[in-house]
Amino acid sequence: MSTTERPPVPSADAPPARHRAARLLGAALRHPAVVPIGAVVLALLIGAVIILAAGLNPITAYAAVIDGALNPDSLDYTFSVWGFICGMALAAAIPLRMGEFNLGGNGQLVLGGLTAAVIAGYAPLPGPIVIPLAVLGAAVVSGAFGALSAPLATRFGIPIIISTLLLSPVAVAVGSYLVRFQIGESGSAVAQTPRLPEGARMWALGDLSYSNVGLLIIIAMMVVFWLVDTRSAVGYELRVVGANRRFGAYGGVRVGRLALGAMVAAGAAAGIVGAIIVMSSPYRLIDGALISPGYTFAGLAAALLAGGRPALIPVTAILFTVLQVGGAAMERSADVPRQLSDVLQGVVIVVLALRTVLDQRRSERSSA
Amino acid sequence: MTSETGTAAPAVELIGIGKRFGAVVANDGVDLVLRRGSVHAVMGENGAGKSTLMSMLFGLLEPDAGEIRVDGKTVRFTGPLDAIAAGLGMVHQHFRLFDSMTVAENVVYGAEPRRRGRLDRAAAAARVRELSDRYGLETSPDAVVGTLSAGARQRVEILKALHREARILILDEPTAVLTPSEVDSLFAVIRRAADDGSTVVIVTHKIHEVLAVSDEVTVLRDGRVTGRFATASATGEQLVHAMTGREIEVVQNPRSGTPGEVALSVEDLSVTDAGAGVTHIDAVSLTVRRGEIVGVAGVSGNGQHELVAAVLGTIPATAGTVRLLGEDVTVRPVRERRALGLAVIPEDRRGEGSAVTMSVAENVTLGHHRSAPIGATRGIRRGWMSLRAERSRARDLIRDYDVRTSGEQQPIGSLSGGNAQKVVIARELSHEAPVLIAEQPTQGVDVGAIESIHGRLLEYRAGGGAILLVSHEISELLALADRVLVMYAGRIVAELAGAEATTARIGAAMAGAAAHDAPAAPDPVLDPEGPRA
Amino acid sequence: MHVFELGFIAAVLLAATPILYAALAGAISAQVGVFNIALEGQMLWGAFAAVAGSYYTGSAWGGVLTAVISTALFAVILAIGAARWKADPIIIAIGTNLLAIGLTGFLLRVLFDVSGSFSPTGLQGLPKMAFLADVPVIGPVFAGQTALVPLAFVVIVAVGVWLKTTPAGLRLRGVGEHPDAAASLGVNVASYQSWTTIAAGALCGIAGAQLALGNVTVFTENMTAGRGWIAVAAVMLVAGRPLWLPLACLGFGAAEALGFRLQGIGAPQQLTDAAPYAITLLVLVLTRVRFARRRQTVA
Repeated sequence: MSTTERPPVPSADAPPARHRAARLLGAALRHPAVVPIGAVVLALLIGAVIILAAGLNPITAYAAVIDGALNPDSLDYTFSVWGFICGMALAAAIPLRMGEFNLGGNGQLVLGGLTAAVIAGYAPLPGPIVIPLAVLGAAVVSGAFGALSAPLATRFGIPIIISTLLLSPVAVAVGSYLVRFQIGESGSAVAQTPRLPEGARMWALGDLSYSNVGLLIIIAMMVVFWLVDTRSAVGYELRVVGANRRFGAYGGVRVGRLALGAMVAAGAAAGIVGAIIVMSSPYRLIDGALISPGYTFAGLAAALLAGGRPALIPVTAILFTVLQVGGAAMERSADVPRQLSDVLQGVVIVVLALRTVLDQRRSERSSA
Repeated sequence: MTSETGTAAPAVELIGIGKRFGAVVANDGVDLVLRRGSVHAVMGENGAGKSTLMSMLFGLLEPDAGEIRVDGKTVRFTGPLDAIAAGLGMVHQHFRLFDSMTVAENVVYGAEPRRRGRLDRAAAAARVRELSDRYGLETSPDAVVGTLSAGARQRVEILKALHREARILILDEPTAVLTPSEVDSLFAVIRRAADDGSTVVIVTHKIHEVLAVSDEVTVLRDGRVTGRFATASATGEQLVHAMTGREIEVVQNPRSGTPGEVALSVEDLSVTDAGAGVTHIDAVSLTVRRGEIVGVAGVSGNGQHELVAAVLGTIPATAGTVRLLGEDVTVRPVRERRALGLAVIPEDRRGEGSAVTMSVAENVTLGHHRSAPIGATRGIRRGWMSLRAERSRARDLIRDYDVRTSGEQQPIGSLSGGNAQKVVIARELSHEAPVLIAEQPTQGVDVGAIESIHGRLLEYRAGGGAILLVSHEISELLALADRVLVMYAGRIVAELAGAEATTARIGAAMAGAAAHDAPAAPDPVLDPEGPRA
Repeated sequence: MHVFELGFIAAVLLAATPILYAALAGAISAQVGVFNIALEGQMLWGAFAAVAGSYYTGSAWGGVLTAVISTALFAVILAIGAARWKADPIIIAIGTNLLAIGLTGFLLRVLFDVSGSFSPTGLQGLPKMAFLADVPVIGPVFAGQTALVPLAFVVIVAVGVWLKTTPAGLRLRGVGEHPDAAASLGVNVASYQSWTTIAAGALCGIAGAQLALGNVTVFTENMTAGRGWIAVAAVMLVAGRPLWLPLACLGFGAAEALGFRLQGIGAPQQLTDAAPYAITLLVLVLTRVRFARRRQTVA
């Protein structure tokens, strides 16, 4: 029954030239990058149809998106957003590597921002100490919060996707409450913490106003994830469990512990992003400001599009960063509502899910 | 071919049926004639092609060659529904029942009696009772199927076929999951159905069953018919000879010298699934010494797999102890057991023994990724892996085990069954663990690979390894094992060593004969641990 | 005091009804073996479609109809993807949930040229059953509700009975329990799965309509605010017994209604908003403690 053969090699007496072309085409179509790129292209086409249907011009809209995100004046800002989306993509990708979905990024993000705001705002310590301390504190608190989902899954059989989703709004609400009533700036109309003292702001990178050392921290995290994923025992175990959970358990992988570790790391990554956002301009925690840009779901989309593969995440994150940053510009100059960015994110993911299946079917047919 | 004496055509004729899967020939020119109102046994060892043949008769597979006639008319089934419409019914070895539903619901599912658009429960129950009475199938229409015994579940499967007016009933290994008394009542049902004009095919490899219930026998070996008999004039020896063919070649089993100390010992191990109320294994005790291969025979589903899983630690033991090299590991996690010295070749290669989307190199690394040469156990590199060492080790193993692949980066899922199995075996043997469990190590593997795998296992034993070999293949056990334990219904019902271990005796014990009719079982071999309640 | 308590029951029902429809959608999907976490997005789409439909047709029932039909169409994505093509329903649902958020916001701008929320003057909400006002007990509970509130319970019972007593219901249950067995008996598994998923979409449309035209008369961006996720949790909680859904959903409704009450006496809204999620998770854990302990004694 299980005699899966390799794709049949075409017989030698077929016309060689046409054959090679066909084979090259076949190989190109089978390349792992085809599915994500195809998904993006299709999503952009669908987006164009939607813009057309709304009576607007898709070409001006997309041009505005690209110009808004990539013109030299906005690159500083675009890079900072790219960092945040990469960070949130890590929060989704680490559990995704073992086949789990972390949909609680918002809560983890807010708790991290909250922790950093408290530490950086109130600890009377010099900058070189308080800044790392705030980042670390955020990682610890959000990591612990993310970790809650692991025992809920192993002990009580509540899937991680459900528990992260239910825990997240609780954390968001607590954060909102604290900013509004406990640690908020008194006398301000907006619910926000006081501006952080000069010494507790994330170190700048030259004279850039948005991108700062926080971006380097996130890049470092991605490098670490890439290293762990490709050449550490834990990363190997994550991939094994993601590919076949029973195989992992049979081989002696402690799946429960691995889930705990993955959720701690995911929570910590999100927490660090929250800390960096709070310690960047405008140097305060504003109620709702961590969530409303939608970094969590842009990151999740980037992680899904990359299939959780660490080396691809920076690339897929570019797409969603451009959509996010360029969305505002598109709204200004082409009069296309920025929510189109969310639409395209959704379409990319749906198309990706469907395309993966087509690809699977194709490979099954060719190996039958 | 037998010519029919009556005017009517035979119920079913299979003429020159052929089927291949890739390079494996499953059926080759098979002819089979089923007379109306008869019980016909299709016999053969595992892999002889019985199931393939029956799948084609029931429309689950399409034959590559040959012709199927039902009631003299040529038919072409594109799916089981066509077969059902033509009057066939099949009872699969693995039941296809809805556990949460009642017997009546299961029976009528898909062909429900209706009254004013609603399910007519009274009519369904009446139908079940009517069929039960007619064929002597004892059931209660309102019982929930999930709570029933295997025998009762099988009766539901038979009722399903009868409800659809099946006149030709195919029973695939019907006694595999039955207790001896359930076997008797099943045979009574089969006789009654045949006397009633139905045609029954029973697929089996158990000789005494064939002799007890069938009118005619067709024996398959390696996809071809090797014997046709009228049961009344056939003897057990004739059937065994036709079935194995190999019995004449005396299997060379180079028995090892004296086995060393006990490496694996299992005492009174039980595994119960309280949720389903099923006891998978019941107070099993066994020991395996260094330099010894202990075989575990048994028809699939008699607890062998649960035994292996409980020793490995992927399912918890309900009672009893497992000792590895003298250490009690009953509640230890899988990783610690493996670290102590346990390797396992699992039965389900794709589901448990490999990750089909990962490369050969990655598949052969699991369990070796934290130890030299791939992983470092101490120092700054602790927890990290050397990809170069992983690749070169994989290449070495591919060469040593003669795995046919385009390279160590090829996904294991695209290898042939035999080559994928070699990867699994390479991974597990290279642990050089004192204890090895090999579960169906040659299942779905071509002949050449079987030889090399057998050679590897014998080498492993010669090197002082203790091997627990679980297999359905009696010939494999005879070729390799020093002792053979036979499992039936979750218990070890016989232990046969040396000359006592013969195909006939193992086969009888596998069918539960030892537990069934006590006189047939020779004196000291029954249950070495003495009677247990 | 008496009126106060009946008023509270009315508030509980009001809060529970949208969740109840969505949970029923999740439960029937679970019956055919589709893990449906697209409820949140479908409900949001339903809410938008209801308001848009009511605005254009000038009738609240026109809004409900628009919601039901268009949400069923929206669910076709999941139906085809998960049931026919066997794609991962979780990833599709994540996609359609994002899509719903984006599309409703986008259309709000394009069609009505507003952002945030939309409640034009004259937008028709669903009529309340004011004729019941004088009936004792029932009056205070139902007079302020739309007909969709009692209908939710009728629909749940009807679906439960249909599943239990009709051949199609029997087949539907079998499809989820053992697809291979169902297919071997000639039942088209993919077809049952996709039509059920589409019907679930229609139910989410009703849920959204009740939310946007019953509970309030406005569409607000992301107004479902996690109710779809609570519905998913409710489905897990009752574990395949749809007739228990009302109990679970009323519990969540009570948590929400209690939150409003507490807000009324000065508790911060942020914390009471979190209560339904916290309580849902807590209830899930509590029901599983028994399960975990039983497993331990076996082990």
